[in-house]
Amino acid sequence: MFSFLKWKKKKKNSDNQQEKSPIQSTDKLSNNIETSLTLNLEVIKQRTGNSTDFVIRPVNLGQHPKVKTTIVYIKGLVDNQTVNDFLIEAMITNPTLQEQITQQEVVDMIVKDVVAVGGIKKLSDWDELFTELMSGNTIIFIEGISVALSVSTQGGERRSIQESTTNVSIRGSKEAFTESIGTNIAMVRRIINTPDLWIESMKIGKMTKTDVSIMYINGIARNEIIEEVRKRLKKIDIDGVLESGFIEQLIEDQTNTTFPTIHHTDRPDGVAGNLLEGRIAIFVNGTPFVLIVPALFIDFFQSPEDYYERFDISSAIRLLRTIIFFISLIGPAVYIAATTFQQEMIPTKLAIIIANQRESVPFPAFIEALIMEITFEILREAGIRMPKAIGSTISIVGALVIGQAAIQAGIVSPVMVIVVSMTAIASFATPSYAVAISARLVRFIFMFSAATFGFYGMILVFIILVVHLSSLRSFGVPYMTPLAPFIREEAEDTIVRRPLWGYKKRPKMISGRNKVKQGENQKPNPPQPRTMTNSANEKGD
Amino acid sequence: MERAKISAYQLLVLIFLFEIGTAILVPLAIEAKQDAWLAVLIGLVGGCCLFWIYHSLYSYYPDIPLTEYMQRILGSVLGKVLAFFYVLYFMYITARVLRDFGEMLIIAFYPETPLFAMNVLMVLVVVYTIRKGIEVIARTGELLFIIMMLIGISTIVLIIISGIIETSNLEPLLEKGLKPVIKTVFTQTLFFPFGEVIVFAMILPYLNQASKAMKAGLLGLGLSGLVIALIMAMNISVLGVNLISRSHFPFLSTIQTIEFAGFLQRLDIIFMLSTVIAGFFKISLYFYASLIGTANLFNIKNSAQLAYPLGLILLILSITIASNFSEHVYEGLQIVPLYVHLPFQVIIPGLLLIIAFFKNRKEQRKRNS
Repeated sequence: MFSFLKWKKKKKNSDNQQEKSPIQSTDKLSNNIETSLTLNLEVIKQRTGNSTDFVIRPVNLGQHPKVKTTIVYIKGLVDNQTVNDFLIEAMITNPTLQEQITQQEVVDMIVKDVVAVGGIKKLSDWDELFTELMSGNTIIFIEGISVALSVSTQGGERRSIQESTTNVSIRGSKEAFTESIGTNIAMVRRIINTPDLWIESMKIGKMTKTDVSIMYINGIARNEIIEEVRKRLKKIDIDGVLESGFIEQLIEDQTNTTFPTIHHTDRPDGVAGNLLEGRIAIFVNGTPFVLIVPALFIDFFQSPEDYYERFDISSAIRLLRTIIFFISLIGPAVYIAATTFQQEMIPTKLAIIIANQRESVPFPAFIEALIMEITFEILREAGIRMPKAIGSTISIVGALVIGQAAIQAGIVSPVMVIVVSMTAIASFATPSYAVAISARLVRFIFMFSAATFGFYGMILVFIILVVHLSSLRSFGVPYMTPLAPFIREEAEDTIVRRPLWGYKKRPKMISGRNKVKQGENQKPNPPQPRTMTNSANEKGD
Repeated sequence: MERAKISAYQLLVLIFLFEIGTAILVPLAIEAKQDAWLAVLIGLVGGCCLFWIYHSLYSYYPDIPLTEYMQRILGSVLGKVLAFFYVLYFMYITARVLRDFGEMLIIAFYPETPLFAMNVLMVLVVVYTIRKGIEVIARTGELLFIIMMLIGISTIVLIIISGIIETSNLEPLLEKGLKPVIKTVFTQTLFFPFGEVIVFAMILPYLNQASKAMKAGLLGLGLSGLVIALIMAMNISVLGVNLISRSHFPFLSTIQTIEFAGFLQRLDIIFMLSTVIAGFFKISLYFYASLIGTANLFNIKNSAQLAYPLGLILLILSITIASNFSEHVYEGLQIVPLYVHLPFQVIIPGLLLIIAFFKNRKEQRKRNS
């Protein structure tokens, strides 16, 4: 305990000397790179604890024994071919170096004549140097000069671009984001080819120093929202960012809600579409999931694909999704309320059948539903976590437990099984996983209210749910926009979708000064009847 | 006052939901027999005149609610006393509406459940909502308005296609002349439901465009009046006057007679959904008015703090205002309109307007000279 306090005091003192890293405690070294090559290498070894993945390789520039250089890189983070062919080989075999030069000129010469790699940067302090080194660049030290060079050689093994597994599409681009932030940004750049697509980068996480970039289209995104995003990101002070979920949880408007107020996707076309509406994308290195703000409730029921299909089909599908959401929310609750309180609601014949089946069931409907729901949740959780090899075993056991045995044992009634499986399937059909989990939680509240007060309880919970949703905001934008506050033109793009030529304006609450989405008269028309058909007929004749 | 703004459309929606609150529940204007719908429409005209009074007061004092500008008009002491009475009035009517819904639920759906349990739940929901502020109430209104519209349209379609409408029940028109209709208007429909729009004298200052207040208010009133008249006419044509005058909740009886294609029947749940939603808004808005009235009167900065204590008072009040349902109904029909609604909705605002008119003219003259 005491030693800990002492350590803390020491740390404070060292903070005063404007230095954070342990290198400063060994007082003979400053933050600047030394002129002596051996000293520099000593510092690297000391600060990295002689980590074995650091490669330190001395190179004699142009076989010139006078100019001693050493290159340092981290195994696996660099592209081996670049380092070998364009850096080491170029340095060793460079013929222009046969003449006599001063050591100061060597730096310029290496930058201009030797290294055959795009990005090269002069560094003079250690913090910067380590950042470069850690991000996969190669460092060149030169004897006698207090400047190091950083050559961009980022590479190494990475997952290649693959099809999205979480947002599967039938029509539309198949590629999904990868774990590399550079690749992801480039994928969006390939879709939106305008210089107005602006990117700002920062590093978040004291230890992980994760690359985080925000991307928006200048003029389309609203400045206040961009400023708010910047402010919230800058405020983050955490040791590590492992996934965009860390960022999401730290920049939300409200935390006491089960509903997501930040959208995430792993599809470049989804990000591009959102950018065009004036939203802001937040890329985090190391995860294929890109955050999109501000997110409205209705966004979670839409998929980029809705805009690829024709409007009538998309509208029908969106209506279906709304119904699905309600089923996944209140399915079991309606069954409980109807069988416990309002039996008169059920048509007589069906009521007799249900009563017949429930006769042998020893539990009240609520307990029955709870047993089935929890069983199902267990199966689902097991299905996600278990090794793939035993997947079939679980599904057989699950099907038997849920389907056959439970009914035969008289624990649940067959109707209950239908209700629960309907609800389960419905909850998988919601496009966004984030909102599907929220519905999963809220479903239990509905079940409880139905068990205690029937439909009256359910209606009250529904009202509370609507009040709660109306009270949420995502980056200042009311969550239920454009339904509440009601914006007529945009409300046509919620649970139905209007034809593509009807989208004249961008969303009012989200976009900035550039509001016009498309020109007038975009509705396609058939050619003037007489001219085209007549000419074809004439030719035919 | 909280710093919030609502739009003209939101005001319209709130007025609509507020007006139809209890009006679709009870046998409204049944003293006018088959001309009840006419009594509703004439009452609507009267209600619009009352709204004109409240709007005129609002245009003199566009930034402050009723309880505050009556202090400016009548002076601090008298104004404060009167404002206190208005808070009591709002509180009392909130409790009445709450009692109405509790009784409805018990009589129609939950005969075994105590009234207290029903009211506790409703009060909890209302308190939760009120704490979120007027903006959230308005947005909730917009969302639930859509649902109410869907329910309304589907109910009307179902009633029509199940062929239970007997238009002959609406005849003869004006059997005993215009007198009973006018009498019903001035003993009931003028004050309940249309005069109750006085609540919005507390809420109008939140409107973001003062110039649209009149239009939105009249549209909201008109729309709700038409819907109420339509529902009453539908009730009469489906059930007949005799049945309605003996029924506590004619709209429920109408919905219960729907039978379509052998399986769509006993749609009580539709009735429950629409009345509970509309009733929720009526209680919330009345309660909100009494809340900001109290906060205003006693200079409490954060009016949300008051939600729990006032909610408790409301709950106890709703249980104790009448010992049983018939007493509650008797008070509601015989005593409240004449001795409570008439002074608070018509006489006092009218006097306030006259005083405000002369006061402002004097001030204007001063300024001009």
